[in-house]
Amino acid sequence: MGFMYAAYSIVWVIIFGYMLLIGKRHSSLKKDIEFLKQLDK
Amino acid sequence: MLRTALTIAKKDIYSELRTKQVLGTMIIFAGLVILVLSFAFDPANNTTKAVIPGAVWIIIVFSGILGLNRSLVSEQRNDTMHGLLVAPMDASSIYLGKFMANFSMILIVEIVSIPFLFLLFDFKMNSSIFYFILVLFVGSFGFIAIGTFLAALASNSKSSEMLLPLLLFPMTSPVLIGVTQATKIILINMEKLPNAIAWMQLVAAYDVIFFVLCFLLIEYVLEV
Amino acid sequence: MSINLEREKVTLPLEEVVQTKTTMLTKVLYGGMVVSMLAAFYFIFLYAEIEKTMGVVQKIFYMHVPSAWVAFLAFFVTFVFSILFLIKRKRIYDTYAYVSAEIGVVFTTIVLTTGPIWAKSSWNTWWAWEPRLTTTLILFFLYMAYLMVRQMDGVWDKKARLAAVFGIIGFADVPIVFFAIRWWQSKFHPIVFGDGPSQQGGGIAPSMLVALLVAITAFTFLYAYLLHKGVSFENMKIKVGHYKEKLRERLEH
Repeated sequence: MGFMYAAYSIVWVIIFGYMLLIGKRHSSLKKDIEFLKQLDK
Repeated sequence: MLRTALTIAKKDIYSELRTKQVLGTMIIFAGLVILVLSFAFDPANNTTKAVIPGAVWIIIVFSGILGLNRSLVSEQRNDTMHGLLVAPMDASSIYLGKFMANFSMILIVEIVSIPFLFLLFDFKMNSSIFYFILVLFVGSFGFIAIGTFLAALASNSKSSEMLLPLLLFPMTSPVLIGVTQATKIILINMEKLPNAIAWMQLVAAYDVIFFVLCFLLIEYVLEV
Repeated sequence: MSINLEREKVTLPLEEVVQTKTTMLTKVLYGGMVVSMLAAFYFIFLYAEIEKTMGVVQKIFYMHVPSAWVAFLAFFVTFVFSILFLIKRKRIYDTYAYVSAEIGVVFTTIVLTTGPIWAKSSWNTWWAWEPRLTTTLILFFLYMAYLMVRQMDGVWDKKARLAAVFGIIGFADVPIVFFAIRWWQSKFHPIVFGDGPSQQGGGIAPSMLVALLVAITAFTFLYAYLLHKGVSFENMKIKVGHYKEKLRERLEH
């Protein structure tokens, strides 16, 4: 039983971790865009 | 195409024979691997016999990787790669030439270091030397064929020395599995020879498939 | 050379880049993923019967197998787009190949973590050099190497070309690896691990099969969603890169 919980939690930790990573990349790109906008003015 | 490939192979081997830098390094490195193996596995112990077949391939793989790295990186570093590419020949003949040079180099290393290994570990070979040479040939062929290709791929990177093993080891794992199994059977229990031959067939099939694949794809790797 | 090519392209105004438009496809994929994932959980925990010998632990199966399927699918997609890239030389193919490989590595990691947990509970050992597990491990290393090739320095089209070549050879390697390991292992573990629970050799109950199929659908939706999201992100990044280039040129003059 414990093994099952461990496995399921690891699966979702990995999937959400990956989604979080994508989100992080996204926000860093957003920051880049903001900076470029400032520069453009 | 074969003629131009031979020219490249000859060029590589001549320049190597003048400096003896890479070949010397490879052989000394092979000796050092044997030394390290003797620390890890007591040569006086009888059970060590079991690790000899593996040791043969550890030597070939590690010293092979040194040579593979050099063969393409030196071209890249001296900027002679562009010279080769604009020369009137196919990318595949460059690959073939490099392959032949590397293959003859690894054969020299094997000829020198494997008798040394047997000597230092007091390994009496009482099995068919023909099959042993055959398995060495088949295995080295596959390893060097794919190794030359991946070295060409990795040489585009600044840290190709680090990249090449990462690319090469997983890719050659079928060759390494097959060839260590076959060597084990040939060196230790000859009775199971049909098994060893089956393994060699597998490795040979791998060799053919990847040699053809590398041949087809090399022009994309060596594009300017 | 390629840098010049990139410059010639018309760079879109920044406003157009920034707005993250939620297209129909995104919505469909997201909705499909959520619905099918909830359905999968229902089928796994409430519908499928509990396996007799292994008990509840067997439910790891419903995450393990779909992840493996998605990983293989992802690597296959990488393979196909690598070939397409080498033929057509369009950047979008390269982006697809890259994102798909990355997702594939993520799902291979899931397979490699759930596999040992399951092995521990049912075979009482963390790791068995069983063909499937070993192949997955080698696959993991292969595609890590693929991602390493992508980290190389240089212009994008060189990286894309080399990565595409590696993606093709790497995928061609997979069946041979599996075959070699299967053959190798059959000499040592004749039946014990060869017929492990991950194989459906023993036949599984219909309710389990339904749950498995639903889980596979859910994971495929998840993959499609991640792929779509990743690709649109990469496209945005490329556009921002172009824009940066253009801005720099303007500031220099």
